[in-house]
Amino acid sequence: MLTLRSLLRPTRRVHAHCDIPCGIYDPEQARIEAESCLRIIEKHDASDDKLFRARCIHVKEERAELVKHHLDVLWHDYFKPEHLEKYPDLHTTFWNASKAASKVKQSMDAAAARDLLSQIDTIDEMWKATGGPEKTRVNGRPS
Amino acid sequence: MPAERGPRRALFLFLGSLAGIAATAVAAGRRLDVVEVTGHSMAPTLLPGDRLLVEALSYRRRPPRPGEIVLARDPRQRDRELVKRISHVDPSSGSAELEGDAADDSTDSRTFGPVPLEDVRWRAVVRCWPLGRIGRLRGR
Repeated sequence: MLTLRSLLRPTRRVHAHCDIPCGIYDPEQARIEAESCLRIIEKHDASDDKLFRARCIHVKEERAELVKHHLDVLWHDYFKPEHLEKYPDLHTTFWNASKAASKVKQSMDAAAARDLLSQIDTIDEMWKATGGPEKTRVNGRPS
Repeated sequence: MPAERGPRRALFLFLGSLAGIAATAVAAGRRLDVVEVTGHSMAPTLLPGDRLLVEALSYRRRPPRPGEIVLARDPRQRDRELVKRISHVDPSSGSAELEGDAADDSTDSRTFGPVPLEDVRWRAVVRCWPLGRIGRLRGR
């Protein structure tokens, strides 16, 4: 029997999909790992302990890899085409920042780590100017 | 027996049209369907649990138009169907771009790029459930 109920019964589900609808992004995440790289390099340079210095190199490479990861997430997931219209050099900025992170991963150069921090700050400005602190943190970025 | 001819013909006509109606209903069944929405990326137009009447006739005749709400095969997970709005159609490459109405909570062509037009077969026509939200889905 055809009833209204059977006519309206869905045959399948369709997805108004979002990868993860958490929508939480903050360049601070990349910055903290990059600060960690800088501090590790300074500690490495100040130490004579061979074992400690080896650990510094190892941990710094891990942290630099995390910087690259967090930058990628911001680049791919937070920034959208409308942001590219506002910042036509967005891709170049991220490309350079990722390269700076690679340099920090490969070297024990404190200047490279400072350069990376300043590049993350540039991205942070774009994030702020596009409403990131209000839109992509739960209660705004903690001050 | 000419006397039986009239009623018999009427019976044949009757059975024939019943079969015709049944065949049309089966065919329409494949071109007309009801689906249920999950996810929030089309809010506030479509909410999770909304049911949509969808049809697969229009796009046999013409390509989708920007603003129409469609079902499209997910290019990253082919066994899944997405419901999104058409934001752009490029007839020369045979592709369309999809976007969720809730742009900040949507993964769509801005992330996975355009989708081929052959993966866009169904057009959403009416939101038919819940009763309080019944309404025609218009392009914009």
